[in-house]
Amino acid sequence: MNEHSIASWSLDLLAAAKLRLEALGLDLAYAPEEARKAVEATHAALMSGMGVRGATYLVILLFIGVAVEWLYWTYAYSPLRALQATPAHSPLEALRLGLRHLVLRGSGVLLFTAAAIGVSAAFNWPPRVHGLVIAATLFLLVLRLSWIAVSVVISPRRPRLRLVPVEAAKARWLAGVLMAAIVLLAIGRFVPPIVEDGAVQARHLASALRLAAYSAAALLLFVACFAFFGKPGRHAGGANTASTRAPLFPLSFPLALLVVAVYAVWLLNAGGAAAAATAAVTIALLLGLRDVVHFYWRSEADPNGERGALPAIALSLARFVVVLLGVGAAALALDTPLAALVESASPWVRIGLRLLGVAVLALLAHGVWIAVRSVVDQRLSRIAPADPHQPPDASSRLLTLLPLLRLTTAVSLLVLLVLTSLWALGIEITPLLAGAGVIGLALGFGAQALVRDVIAGVFFLAEDAFRVGEYIEGAGNTKGNVERITLRSVALRHHNGPLHFVPYGALGSVRNTSRDWVIDKFNLPLPIEVESETIRKMIKKIGEEMKADPDIGPLMIEPLKGKLYRIDPGVKVFRCKFRSPPSKQFDVRASALKRIEAALKKSGIQFADGRQIAVMQPAPA
Amino acid sequence: MRGDALIRNVRLVSGLVLMAFVTCHLANLAIGLRSLAAMDAWRATLTMPWTTGAGQWLLASAAAIHLVLGLYAVAARRSLALSATDVAQLTLGLAIPPMLIAHVIAMATANAVSPGFAANYGQIQAVYWSFAPVYAFLQLFVVVIVWMHGAIGLYSWLVLKPIWRRIGGLVLPLLFAVPILALLGFAQSGQEVLDKLANDAAWKAMILENVGRISKATRELGEFQSRAIWAYAAAVAVAFAILAVRILRHRAKPLQVAYDGGMRASGRYGLSILEFSRLNDVPHAHVCSGRGRCGTCRVRVDAGAAQLSAPADLERDTLALVRAGTGERLACQARVLGEGVQVTRLLPAFADASAARAPQEWVAEQAAPAEESRP
Repeated sequence: MNEHSIASWSLDLLAAAKLRLEALGLDLAYAPEEARKAVEATHAALMSGMGVRGATYLVILLFIGVAVEWLYWTYAYSPLRALQATPAHSPLEALRLGLRHLVLRGSGVLLFTAAAIGVSAAFNWPPRVHGLVIAATLFLLVLRLSWIAVSVVISPRRPRLRLVPVEAAKARWLAGVLMAAIVLLAIGRFVPPIVEDGAVQARHLASALRLAAYSAAALLLFVACFAFFGKPGRHAGGANTASTRAPLFPLSFPLALLVVAVYAVWLLNAGGAAAAATAAVTIALLLGLRDVVHFYWRSEADPNGERGALPAIALSLARFVVVLLGVGAAALALDTPLAALVESASPWVRIGLRLLGVAVLALLAHGVWIAVRSVVDQRLSRIAPADPHQPPDASSRLLTLLPLLRLTTAVSLLVLLVLTSLWALGIEITPLLAGAGVIGLALGFGAQALVRDVIAGVFFLAEDAFRVGEYIEGAGNTKGNVERITLRSVALRHHNGPLHFVPYGALGSVRNTSRDWVIDKFNLPLPIEVESETIRKMIKKIGEEMKADPDIGPLMIEPLKGKLYRIDPGVKVFRCKFRSPPSKQFDVRASALKRIEAALKKSGIQFADGRQIAVMQPAPA
Repeated sequence: MRGDALIRNVRLVSGLVLMAFVTCHLANLAIGLRSLAAMDAWRATLTMPWTTGAGQWLLASAAAIHLVLGLYAVAARRSLALSATDVAQLTLGLAIPPMLIAHVIAMATANAVSPGFAANYGQIQAVYWSFAPVYAFLQLFVVVIVWMHGAIGLYSWLVLKPIWRRIGGLVLPLLFAVPILALLGFAQSGQEVLDKLANDAAWKAMILENVGRISKATRELGEFQSRAIWAYAAAVAVAFAILAVRILRHRAKPLQVAYDGGMRASGRYGLSILEFSRLNDVPHAHVCSGRGRCGTCRVRVDAGAAQLSAPADLERDTLALVRAGTGERLACQARVLGEGVQVTRLLPAFADASAARAPQEWVAEQAAPAEESRP
């Protein structure tokens, strides 16, 4: 599109707008005359048998509607009172209660409407009145449903059931102003067609009525924007005072601008007004969505202002839903033939639709990714970092698996997103997949070891063979503390310091010495002269003392015991054994030896010194 | 203070008399579904008794008493903390006299002005449907307003009685069937009258003559009517002025009432506990809208019993009826006269009319948690 065409397009637009304004002026000029005629005609029509009959039927209809609704409320009133008396403890609970409110009160209104419209078919109405009656009933329905929606969302009288962040002082006014605007808009929407279809066919009057109603509504909303959204962010939290908060752009200005824009579009070009209105509502919702979402998760917000990822997901999803609904509503308002649009041959339309599809996919993938990441990160931050000196507990397995899960999710989401996006854009991905299959096969042969490592790793982790922080021994003299677990290999810190990187495929059978308990045994060589029973009792006594010791006691699962194990020339070998938690056996053994040594020294027994003493006996006489 | 209960009962009886008359009148109209002739035939049974001397006297005094006591009730209020039912009753009730006065004057004087004019349904329907439809519209509105006012009153009185369990299934449909059938009869007989006017020239001429004579008298009647409406407006204004004075007089004396569950309510000196609840959106059951009939608003006074107005006979009767324990009061009757009042609501906010019909069922359920919560 070049400059010239833009210029001519704007000129056309301006000319059309001028025509429309002139027509509106004419409408205003002719309206009083038409109004007089219409009133006369209505009066004449009413002041006759026909008019009386119509009015009588209308009153009957009213009674029947009220009767049905009364019947409904004899059952529904107590639940409604109970609902109103229920205090909501969180905004989310308020939302649930609000939905129940909507259903309970909306059902009554719907029953009234259904009864009135259904019964109206039974009467012999004067000509043209039946349509009027149905229009009036629907008008009433719209107003009552709107009032229910407004009163449930803003909940002017019950702050604890309020569904949007509005200050208590403003809630009643806001509800009133919104309702007034809705009444005006409904009048502008429902009344002019009735005037147009009446006996007088007062087109100018209808147009003037519409102009008056919509202008009043626009003025009201315009003023309301500044009255209710003038000072931004006051409700965001008591701690945030004006001095600590960065100033935000006042919401009132864009909102007022939207109102003016929609009104201007309607005034200059009635056709696009509905679409403009939906667009404006969409933008207004987007502007306010952040506050609303944070309002629902305000209870979960940290003192630091950190809000976690869930509100972020909710916010992005809500934004997306609002945009989608807005686009749909605008398409409906424009009477866009959606089916034809899908079939349309125009390349731009097709590309646009496909890009929309890709955006949907990207958003879905983004949502899933944020959800997974936030869950994983929250769990990870809750689990303390693994301490190699502590016995590994159940959380260390999560510590192992969660990062792996996060990475796997990211990779598979990305691959899926790319593939489906390509597909959504109309790029044939079958050859790609086939090619990928072939390449995958080739790579598979080449990277057989890699695949074996990855798959073996999955099974090691699934079977919970080892966790971060545990001491394991694998095949080929690999041993050490598990420091890191990756997709392909495990890093083992040898007790002397070196770090082994062992691919899972090469890990072979794993010997995990950090599970449940260990049994430690050591030998005690003593001179051949000692009484083995004395020694056994002494060791047992030491074992009991150790068990009672506050430092060592908890480290022993079974107490120290000793018994004569072997007799060598000149040496009695006692074997001592105890059971302790994994990796504690060294401390326990050191302590045990220390105590045994002291006890032996006390009773004057020396360790077997290994020297053989030949004792020469005199030959028997 | 036996007076309050007496006034309440007199108002109720006068309302019932009026309701009986309206029902007879509407039932007569409903017969129009059969034929105009049947309507007039049944007039002797259904409507005529009310036009005899005693009937007229009864009707007129009932209407006057109901009107005066209604205005008295407005003036005796202490706040505008009305329930939805009360708002409806007040608005509908206030609207009735000015709308009905034209019909009453026309019916009362028609015979005097035009001796040939028989106030039978055929002739009046002819006037409504053909010669002065504006009166027909007025009558339609009056039917709606009078019947709704009466139905709401009757329903809110009867629903609290144990007998409602047996008759409720009959009365409630009747409350809606009577006006619907009457209006259908009105429409049907109107059609019949229009046909008769088109076909029976002599009848039409007779009615035209009567209508001409009545319309001459309309001017004087209109003056009388407007004077009556002005007098009524003045009486209403006086009632509301008294109410406004009551509200403004105690405006500067705010008091606080504490409820169970840590809720607090503030209000003016002299308001009842129930009005405190309503003005502050404290959930509080009140099936009879604070008339002291149902006992659902009763509270246990935990502190500050001396700061409440002493219970009147009306309150004692109701409390005895619902078998209230010691230290319990009706929140709608106990007026707050000082600081430090603390109460526990004994019935849940969703208590309905069954709590008034069978108090023992609700008391047994509610007593246990109330005992536990006592410190």
